[in-house]
Amino acid sequence: MPDTLDPHVRFGSNSGQPVTRRDGLAKVTGTATFAADNTPDNMLYAVFVPAAIARGRVTGLDTEAAAAHPGVTHVLTPQNRPPLQGDPSDKPTMFSFRFEALQDDSVRYAGQPIALVVAETLEAANEGARLLNPKYERLTPRTDIDDAEPYAFEAAGFGLPANTVHGNPEAGHASAAQAIDVTYETAPQYHNAMETHAVVAKWEGDHLTLDMPSQAISMSCAGFAYYFGIPAENVTVRSPYLGGGFGSKAIPTGPYVLAILAARMTGRPVKMMLTRQQMFGPVGHRGQTRQRLRLGADDTGRLTVIDHEGIAATSTFDDFVEPAANASQGIYAAGALRSTHRAVKLDIGTPGPMRAPGEASGSAVLECALDELAEKLGLDPLELRLKNYAETEPGTGKPYSSKALRECYAQGAERFGWNSRPRAPGQMRDEDGLLVGWGMGTAFFPCPMFMAEANATLRADSTAVVETSAVDMGQGAWTALAQIAADSLGLPLDKVDFQAGRSGLPDGGVAGGSGHTATAGGALHAAGGDVIRQLGEIAAADPDSPLYGAGNAGFVARDGRLYVAGDESRSEAYTDILARSGGAEIAGNGSASRAPETAEQHAMNAHGAVFAEVKIDPDLCQMRVTRLVGAFAAGRIINPRLAESQLFGGMIWGISFALHEEARHDHKRGHIVNADLAGYHVPVNADVSGLDVITVHEEDPYVNALGIKGVGEIGITGTVGAIGNAIWHATGKRVRRFPIRIEDLLTS
Amino acid sequence: MTLHRPESLDEALSLLGGGAVVLAGGTDVYPGLRDGPPPSRMVDLTRVAGLRGISLRDGLWRIGAATTWTDVLRAELPACFAGLKGAAREVGSVQIQNTGTVAGNICNASPAADGVPALMALDAQVEVAGPEGPRRVALEQFIRGPRNVDLRPSEIVSAVLVPEATGQGAFRKLGARKYLVISIAMVAAVVEVSGNAISRARVSVGSCSPVAVRLRGLEEALTGATVAEVPGIVAGADLPGLTPIDDVRASAAYRREAVRTLIARTITDAMEVRDVT
Ligand SMILES: Cc1cc2nc3c(=O)[nH]c(=O)nc-3n(C[C@H](O)[C@H](O)[C@H](O)COP(=O)(O)OP(=O)(O)OC[C@H]3O[C@@H](n4cnc5c(N)ncnc54)[C@H](O)[C@@H]3O)c2cc1C
Repeated sequence: MPDTLDPHVRFGSNSGQPVTRRDGLAKVTGTATFAADNTPDNMLYAVFVPAAIARGRVTGLDTEAAAAHPGVTHVLTPQNRPPLQGDPSDKPTMFSFRFEALQDDSVRYAGQPIALVVAETLEAANEGARLLNPKYERLTPRTDIDDAEPYAFEAAGFGLPANTVHGNPEAGHASAAQAIDVTYETAPQYHNAMETHAVVAKWEGDHLTLDMPSQAISMSCAGFAYYFGIPAENVTVRSPYLGGGFGSKAIPTGPYVLAILAARMTGRPVKMMLTRQQMFGPVGHRGQTRQRLRLGADDTGRLTVIDHEGIAATSTFDDFVEPAANASQGIYAAGALRSTHRAVKLDIGTPGPMRAPGEASGSAVLECALDELAEKLGLDPLELRLKNYAETEPGTGKPYSSKALRECYAQGAERFGWNSRPRAPGQMRDEDGLLVGWGMGTAFFPCPMFMAEANATLRADSTAVVETSAVDMGQGAWTALAQIAADSLGLPLDKVDFQAGRSGLPDGGVAGGSGHTATAGGALHAAGGDVIRQLGEIAAADPDSPLYGAGNAGFVARDGRLYVAGDESRSEAYTDILARSGGAEIAGNGSASRAPETAEQHAMNAHGAVFAEVKIDPDLCQMRVTRLVGAFAAGRIINPRLAESQLFGGMIWGISFALHEEARHDHKRGHIVNADLAGYHVPVNADVSGLDVITVHEEDPYVNALGIKGVGEIGITGTVGAIGNAIWHATGKRVRRFPIRIEDLLTS
Repeated sequence: MTLHRPESLDEALSLLGGGAVVLAGGTDVYPGLRDGPPPSRMVDLTRVAGLRGISLRDGLWRIGAATTWTDVLRAELPACFAGLKGAAREVGSVQIQNTGTVAGNICNASPAADGVPALMALDAQVEVAGPEGPRRVALEQFIRGPRNVDLRPSEIVSAVLVPEATGQGAFRKLGARKYLVISIAMVAAVVEVSGNAISRARVSVGSCSPVAVRLRGLEEALTGATVAEVPGIVAGADLPGLTPIDDVRASAAYRREAVRTLIARTITDAMEVRDVT
């Protein structure tokens, strides 16, 4: 039986409490130091020059003018860039992409670094960069998904299979009484966390210290160490605060490597912070997709096949492919499932993981296609989903570790008022004459675990220090993880000093894949448990302790006391136990990961149901999402306040995906024309109203020791489709391209 | 780079020329620099005495060149200014409105400047100060094209002037998102009503042509119209001044169709507000 904490057993438990962020005060008062807030003595500034063309060669740079500008100390170009010890085309870690670090004069996407200027001031570096005045030889850029032939390959996303087939899709098509065959597109989205990428790099001999936002601290150390030919333990990464990560801050990029190189070359600390415009290129993005979905169903609405083909844009020099079609695996009980991917190589920066990579784009299209099928079958969209409810994982037949999706559907529908929805589109108007539409979608996200380690030390005064290099991206990890740590030690939160956010601590793993709380939390839970086990051994062996001899019964740790399990009358304070044992500290450690056998036995996913209401001006076609109800079953919720806020954030991204976010290329010149936040729209507060989240109770004894599934990404899934479907329901128009634009609804 | 902060108009004028750039709120100037360096000389007008504020004298409302959008919102103004206030509320965000100026908006001469149609519907004039003394030019003539205004390097705009008028103003802006958005189209109207019919309408549209335009043909056609008749008249009107283009914000086809709805609604807004008061 896996070790699960039962929250009800624990009086005074920290987990489950809506604790506010422990770093909230520092952040709102401006005392939190983000990477670029560091200004070591003698520091230089580095600015890279982004390519203005998307394909071709740099034929001229006025390095003399730049170097002559007062304050400029160095100008790096492919001609004089000092060598790196690791090839930027190599992939030393799981989170590595090929990058541009002035290897040669070729330009492979707009925004690619083509030179680096180092100066005493940021102003001088900027001016030096401008004076370089690049000249180019231009080749016709290919930035449209139709500009190149799709090709097949082996692995999509992070090594996910490019093609997955369960059952016999051809038979599924042949036996379908009703079928649809639809093609949708999703737009390229660019990473634009509030905090842009930044680094302050400092060398001392062959030891490198990096102040930088990082979602994957020890992997970053290993990655940078590789390119600079030093051992990973010589790299210190300090990342106490991040202004958002979303997948872009796990990866060594060209600009980072150039700034670090400049620091090594000059022997002085170097700071680089990307401008908003520079984010549109070298830091990864969600690749554009074109997805074809063919669904077949029998007359009663039972799916005979889900056949999902994805084409995704990738760069000419690397191969990350948005694994959109995989979103059709594991969710509905279809007779046959097929997911295939192909890629198109374009003159763009390499895409990479962005919050729910694959799941977001794939779910958007799958949920819309199901809505189209429901329309064809004359079924309520929710009824169609219930008819195809998977009791075990489709294709593999594996049991789910837990699955409260039925409850999500029921509670979400109830809260939203779904039952009164007319089936036909265009039936509802509000008091102002706006068209009203309701749509829904299923939310679905896997529950990966990575590897993490942690230490815990209980001190004689019944305070503790716990350590792991975990990352708070703004989501509140430091708070939720500290809650887990405090529980594992049986201490109130304020007695626990939580050390995280830098290398040199036990490896806290990766903040990604919605698996950080489960993984780092699991390690902390184990480390605390190790301390309590040792404490119990001391007490049980101590004739002066009320716990003497109770070792076999086991102990419960709570509020600084050890209780005999099942006998509340026998307990002793930690301080007393430790005082008698000589007052020494007790140190424990722990780790967490998922054993491959466990992963084999169960399908592990978080689920949810999202219901959307839109209102549309019948004449101007302006669309507003007026209500979103999301009901999610994501295992154990450590901190309801933070979990809700993660789910809200995901759902807001869903609004963004459905209605706003899109990088638009000028296909003639190849650059992105809206590469700033004035032109690249995300929703503003006024676009977000009526958000409602329900967390459905779910106990999962298999997913991990703590029963945590993760909430970071699932909110986007389901939401995009729900909004698209609501727009159809309001207007009768199927727009098969995201984001849906105002003019797409034009009737004439 | 030198930043001059003159405190009198004469001093300001004496600093012009030689590539000096006039600076008011800077909300167009600074983003316009992109990654480029600042101009070698800038002349900040926000400290010039008497340049900020709104006053009425001899039948002319005077909006000093350093008057911000927030100043406009807070000023006590007659009903015909409701459209200008509507524009003030939707220029950028509150932060932008606190620093951005009315004069800066027209001097920047963006096709999407929200203030321009609102001021055109008020028959605004521009007061220009220069070495030869002040001159006045109608706003419609002042803006000659996108980013192109009737201003010599030795001149600045000292005020925007609006003739006193009756009537009710209204303004509507269309954007893909709800706030902090560059207009797909915007309409300003000032409507005078007698009985229940329009006696005079002034209508101006922005973001559907290189420079915002007054729709004089439509204005005439609207004379005598009741609220109920407005949509029909707007739907049938010939609007040769509107020549929208496709851009990232919306297609030309969409603009052509949506703008008529926006015009009809703006005029109706103005008429209905007047009916209540
Ligand atoms: C985030 C953001 C959002 C925005 N949103 C909108 C919007 O929704 N709608 C909109 O219309 N605008 C918008 N703007 C543009 C801008 O805020 C407005 O145009 C504003 O009114 C400009 O005024 P300013 O005082 O800041 O002008 P400045 O930037 O100081 O000047 C603008 C131009 O006018 C010249 N100038 C200024 N004053 C004078 C003068 N007295 N005489 C001669 N020349 C002068 C300057 O040299 C410059 O060329 C936005 C800007 C930003 C940064």
